[in-house]
Amino acid sequence: MNTLKWVNKMVETTTLPAPNLPKFPLARYLKNQPDAVEDRVVLHAPQAIAYAAGSSEVQRFTPTNSLDAWLLRSPQGATTVDIPAHFVSGDDPIVLTGPKNAGGLLYVHVGKGAKVTLQEKWASGGHVLGIWLMLVVEADADVNWLSYDSFTADTVLVNRTATLAANAKLNWTLAGFSHNSGLNRVDVRLLGHNAEVTVNVGVLASGNQHVNYTTSVTNEGQHTVGHINQRGVITGNAHLMFNGIGHIIKGARGSDAQQENRVLMLSQRAEGDANPILLIDENDVTAGHAASVTRVNADQLYYLMSRGLSATLAKRLVIRGFLEGGLAEIDDVRLKKELFATIDRTLVAEDA
Amino acid sequence: MHTLEIKDLHVKIKAEPEHPEILTGVNLKLATGEIHAIMGPNGTGKSTLAETIMGNPAYEVTQGDILIDGESILGMAVDERARAGLFLGMQYPQEIAGVTNAEFIRAAINARRPEDDQIRISDFLKQLDKTMATLEMPESMADRYLNQGFSGGEKKRNEILQLMMIHPHFGLLDEIDSGLDIDALRIVAKGVNLMRGPEFGSMIITHYQRLLDYIIPDVVHVMKGGRIIESGGPDLAKKLEKTGYEHLKVGEQNG
Repeated sequence: MNTLKWVNKMVETTTLPAPNLPKFPLARYLKNQPDAVEDRVVLHAPQAIAYAAGSSEVQRFTPTNSLDAWLLRSPQGATTVDIPAHFVSGDDPIVLTGPKNAGGLLYVHVGKGAKVTLQEKWASGGHVLGIWLMLVVEADADVNWLSYDSFTADTVLVNRTATLAANAKLNWTLAGFSHNSGLNRVDVRLLGHNAEVTVNVGVLASGNQHVNYTTSVTNEGQHTVGHINQRGVITGNAHLMFNGIGHIIKGARGSDAQQENRVLMLSQRAEGDANPILLIDENDVTAGHAASVTRVNADQLYYLMSRGLSATLAKRLVIRGFLEGGLAEIDDVRLKKELFATIDRTLVAEDA
Repeated sequence: MHTLEIKDLHVKIKAEPEHPEILTGVNLKLATGEIHAIMGPNGTGKSTLAETIMGNPAYEVTQGDILIDGESILGMAVDERARAGLFLGMQYPQEIAGVTNAEFIRAAINARRPEDDQIRISDFLKQLDKTMATLEMPESMADRYLNQGFSGGEKKRNEILQLMMIHPHFGLLDEIDSGLDIDALRIVAKGVNLMRGPEFGSMIITHYQRLLDYIIPDVVHVMKGGRIIESGGPDLAKKLEKTGYEHLKVGEQNG
C-alpha cells in the first residue's frame, strides 16, 4: 500500500517518457486503466536458468516517470529471469512468451560475461494492456535480443528499458507486427564505458492503428556507441510515428550516437512521421541522423517488373525489402519467413 | 523466328517536357539469331533507346512505334513486355533486400509459366547451379539478397545469370562491360555467346570495341544525335576504335 502511494506521488512530479506531440496524446492514453488480468510470462530455455514468477517480483520495478507509474498502478503479473554470469546459450534461443490475455512486468538480468540470444514474444489480446520489460546487462555480457510483437489487444503501452554496464553489447531487434494502437518505448542507457547498443526496429502498421515508437539511447559512459535504425511500412488508415532520441551526456567523451528513421507510405490515407532528435551535451563525440518519409521506390519496382514480375508482386517485394532494413539482424529463418508471410497477408488484405 | 522492330522512334523524358527529344527517329530491325551492337558517344540516346523499348515509365514516346513480331508493344506495361520476350540487362541494377537471388530468378521464370505449370524446385536448382558455375559465381550468391552488397562486377554477372535463366527472345544489354575487369568481361561474354542461337537476338550497347572482340556482332550501328547514322559489319566497330566518333555527322550519310 505504501508503494502505491509513493507511485501516485511520482506521477505528479515526473514528466512524460515520450514527447507528447500533438499527433500523439500520451497523457490521454494514460487516463485508461490497464486490464486487471494477472498472468505470467512463460520461459522456454534449452538449459536450466533461474526463473521466478509472482507478485513479489514487482519490487524490482522502480518507477521514474508517469508511464512507469501507470504500468504499476493495476495489479500486474511479474516474471524474473536471471541469466548467470558467463552463461553461454546454445544454438536455440531462450524464448519468453507473454500471456494470452494480459500484459505484465518482465525483469531479465544478464550476468557478467554471459553470451545469450533471447526472443521475447507477445501476441496478447485484451482492451488495454501494459508491458514493462526491464533488461539489466552486466559488464562484458553480449546479448542478442529480439522482441516480436503481434498484439491483438486494442491499446498497448509497452515500456522496454535496458541498462548496459562496461563493455556490454546489446543487439536489439524489435519486430512490430501488431494490431493495437499505443506507445512502444525503447529506452537504453549505456552506463559503463565502451558499452554498445544497436536498436533495429521494423514496423508494419495497418488498418486504423495509431502507433508511436519512441526509441532513445543515452550515452552516459565514455566511448559508448548507440545506433538506432527504425523502418516502418504504413498501409490503410494507419498512422505511424517514429521518434529517435540520441542523447550524449556531458562527460561521455568519445561516444557515438547515430540514428536513421524511415517510413514508407502505401496509401493516400496513411500518415507517417519520422522525428530524429539528437541531444548532445559533450564536445568530443560523433553523432548523425537520417530520416525520410517515402513512397515505394519506382526504380526498384521497374527493375523487378523488367524481369516479368507483375506490378503487385514487385511492389510486395520492394516493401518487404524496405522493412528488411529494420529486420536484417534476425537470423532465425523460420521466424523471418513468418514475418514475410505476415507482410504479404497484410498487404493483400489492405490491397496495397 | 521473332523480330523486334523500331520504327521512326522519337522519345522525350517525361519529367522534362521542355527538353528537346532525346531520340529523333530511330529505325532498327532485330531478328532472333542476330546480335546487333550499338555504339556512339556519350549522351546520344543509346540507353534511352534500350530503356524505352523495355518501357521505363520515365520516358515518353512522342512518335513512332516499337513492335514485336509485328505487334506494337507501346501499350504494354513493363512486366508484359518482359513476358513478351524482352530482357534489359541494366547499367545500374537495383539492390533489393528481403528477396534472395534464387527466389527472385525463380519468380521471374514462373511469371512466364502458367499457374499450374510452375518450374519444379529441383529442376530450377539444377539449372541455377549449372549456370552459376558457367559464370564462375560462388554458390553463396544464390542465397544472398538480390544484388545487395554486390560489387559492380558481380551485379553485371548477375544480370547475365538472369538472362541465361530466363531465356528471353531479345536481350538488350546496356553497357554490360562497364566496370568489368578483363576476366569478368571474358566470363560475361561467354554467357552471352552461350545464348546465341536461332531463338535469341541481342542488342548490345557499348562504348568500346573491346567487348566486341569477345562477342562478335552481326551488325554494328552508330548512334549520334538521337538516331542511327551508320550501320555496318563488325569492321565498322574496329574502324571507329581508330577514328573516334567526332568526325561522324548527324543527318549526313557517312562511310
